Amino acid sequence: MAEVQEKSGGDGKKGAQKKMHIRVDFTPMVDMNMLLITFFMLCTTMIKSQTLTIALPSNEKVENQENMSQASADDAVTIIVDAKRKPGTAEVDSVNGNVVNEVYYYFGKPGGDQGMFGAGGEIIAANNNLQKSEFLTDEVNATGDKSARGIRQIIQQRNKEVLAEIAKIKEKYQNGGFGSLETKEEREKAQELYDQAASEIRKNENLKKPVVIIKSTPQASFGSLVEILDEMQINSISKYQIDNMTRVDSVMLLEYQKSHPGN
Amino acid sequence: MGRVKIAKKSTFIDMTAMSDVTVLLLTFFMLTSTFLQKEPTTVITPPSVSTEKVQETNFVQVLVSPEGKIWLTMNNDTSTVWSNEKMRGAVLEKVASIYNETHKSKPVNFTPEQVATFSKLGSFGVPLAQMGEFLNLANEPEGMTKMDKWLEGEDGNPNHITGIPIQWNSNPDNPTEFQMWIKAMRQTENENLAQAIKDGTGVAIKADQNTSFDIIHMVMDNLQTIKQNKFTFLTALKAGE
Repeated sequence: MAEVQEKSGGDGKKGAQKKMHIRVDFTPMVDMNMLLITFFMLCTTMIKSQTLTIALPSNEKVENQENMSQASADDAVTIIVDAKRKPGTAEVDSVNGNVVNEVYYYFGKPGGDQGMFGAGGEIIAANNNLQKSEFLTDEVNATGDKSARGIRQIIQQRNKEVLAEIAKIKEKYQNGGFGSLETKEEREKAQELYDQAASEIRKNENLKKPVVIIKSTPQASFGSLVEILDEMQINSISKYQIDNMTRVDSVMLLEYQKSHPGN
Repeated sequence: MGRVKIAKKSTFIDMTAMSDVTVLLLTFFMLTSTFLQKEPTTVITPPSVSTEKVQETNFVQVLVSPEGKIWLTMNNDTSTVWSNEKMRGAVLEKVASIYNETHKSKPVNFTPEQVATFSKLGSFGVPLAQMGEFLNLANEPEGMTKMDKWLEGEDGNPNHITGIPIQWNSNPDNPTEFQMWIKAMRQTENENLAQAIKDGTGVAIKADQNTSFDIIHMVMDNLQTIKQNKFTFLTALKAGE
């Protein structure tokens, strides 16, 4: 292929051109191409970043208290994310250069119905209803069934009604209830209908669903915030907000850590 | 003894086919590649189940280092009217005018050359008071390397501050420089960029997963103060959920 053969014009006469073989050696070219390919392969980012959309409430003070939507104590779940500290100090501990995320939660009001503070403002440690949990992925058993663990399990228990409805329409979607799943186009159409139905369920006022308030200590890592926001998405929580730590939250957290040393 | 005669065979291997293949591969990689942008700090974004893809145009990326320093990267859709260069130049002039409202005694002004230098920058992040000095570096030999070093905070000059100044601030009338930049971008006449930022899809916070919430909270609070209540976090895809 890389040869050019020149046929001589005459037939062996004097002065006839010699048969010439021109061979081009492509090896250096291949070498160079390989180098360039290596360069491009190493410098390319094939994976695009993902984004997580955040909508925060306005910072402005609401003058009219009546306009504020109050979560009933029954539905409220407060989740506090924190980072593991070095024993006995407030310094953040790390394993292999990564912060260890910790997550705490309580239902309803801080300190239960009695509250965390006594009449004289003293702390009543016995009323502390803060509990500790963990960020854990689903456990998959031998038969392939998934079961939630850690904080996910706790959120799912509070959001049972919505999740049950979502599971129903998911089954319907898989059985072709939202249209056939044969071709790509049909699948996209069915997916759209499914998303619509799922969003209606999440907004359905007749279902009992929790209001999750996410709080974070200053030392907690950005990764843990994203992780807890992920849990909201995984567990179809429609009402959640990021809020600031209050004094009582800090007190409860400190009390918990005091009563559970080495944890 | 008669030796066995080995027929002389040519060892020439035809490389043409091989070269064809490599050229094809090379073309593929050249056309599909988007280069890694050089950034003043390296961060590992936290994994998330969100599958929403990042915007490629019309966004401003807020890069937050674990120490709380901030750099910005701006990109818009390169239409014929608004090239990236033109947009960046317009933003710089806008931010200078916002800055001069609150810093009447020490106003900043930029020469056309400085604006031209700025419009070619990928990411940037120095206090506006030092921006002029920073942009003048481009005229020096090896200016680009010096600018990169400054942004990374490794040029050895303690007077050179890297990162856009930011602090807790709840007064929208006296904005921090970070707030000024976001405001300036919302006010450019490039409607696509301004709209994307107002919608919240145009502001992406990129931070390391180990960055403390304190720092992220300050950035979020700064955005909230100037009524930028919607924005996005850059995340990496989490496998298997």
